[in-house]
Amino acid sequence: MSADGGYAVILFDSVTQCMWAEKLITKTSIPYKLIPVPKNISADCGICLRVALADAAAAEATLRGVVEYRGVATIPGRE
Amino acid sequence: MSHTIDCRGMACPEPVIQTRKALETHSEITVIVDNETAVENITRFAENLGGSVAVVRGADGIRIVVNKGGEPAPLDAGRPAAAAPAGGPLVYVLAAETMGRGDAELGSVLIRAFMHTLTEASRRPDVLVMLNAGVKLAAQGSPVADDLKALEAKGTRILACGTCLNFYGITGKLAAGSVSNMYDIVETMNGAASVITL
Repeated sequence: MSADGGYAVILFDSVTQCMWAEKLITKTSIPYKLIPVPKNISADCGICLRVALADAAAAEATLRGVVEYRGVATIPGRE
Repeated sequence: MSHTIDCRGMACPEPVIQTRKALETHSEITVIVDNETAVENITRFAENLGGSVAVVRGADGIRIVVNKGGEPAPLDAGRPAAAAPAGGPLVYVLAAETMGRGDAELGSVLIRAFMHTLTEASRRPDVLVMLNAGVKLAAQGSPVADDLKALEAKGTRILACGTCLNFYGITGKLAAGSVSNMYDIVETMNGAASVITL
């Protein structure tokens, strides 16, 4: 999954929430990568889940109501 | 007539050590081994000397005829064969499948975050040495396999201990890196500008 075209990151308040969320996302077919939170974003937990922009909505739907997440941030692509 | 040494039954890196010793006093030797890792290690050792090998596989063992090219390097020559920057290479040793002690799941999260960050860092290690469970990171299916491949593509050499691969039953299942041995690993660490153990 190349990140040059921009991507979305799902942010969390704690590592435990992130790990729990990862278990849920793994069960779907959504490609993701666990990465440190990009430097220009601040979050309580330093780890987030990166997904393609097109998959952000599906990823959120998977987590909504099951595991808490802080929000979804969009990282624009490099020119 | 070739001087023959029988290294069947010897654990890595003994066959390479015996080969090196024998080449100090003979210009051509035959080494008998019983595993492919030893064949790879002895072949690479001979080629690093500027020598050559001929391998014959038989029912009772594998015979490697080694012809040395130049002088064998003494054990502590230091620099690995690949060109290193002045002062020696930057070497990271990964001796576990996770990062840090405490919670294993957190350790897995950390090593994955670390590897991802490493691929984007402006300064990357020249060599990664994988030992013990660390070799699993380089195996097919590992969560950091793609990152390790990316590091290799950018010039990082990855050495995975052959004994460890064998122990975990993943010989031949490397996604990145090459099978190495304690002899190469010791030389790499001794010749390094700095060694960071994760």
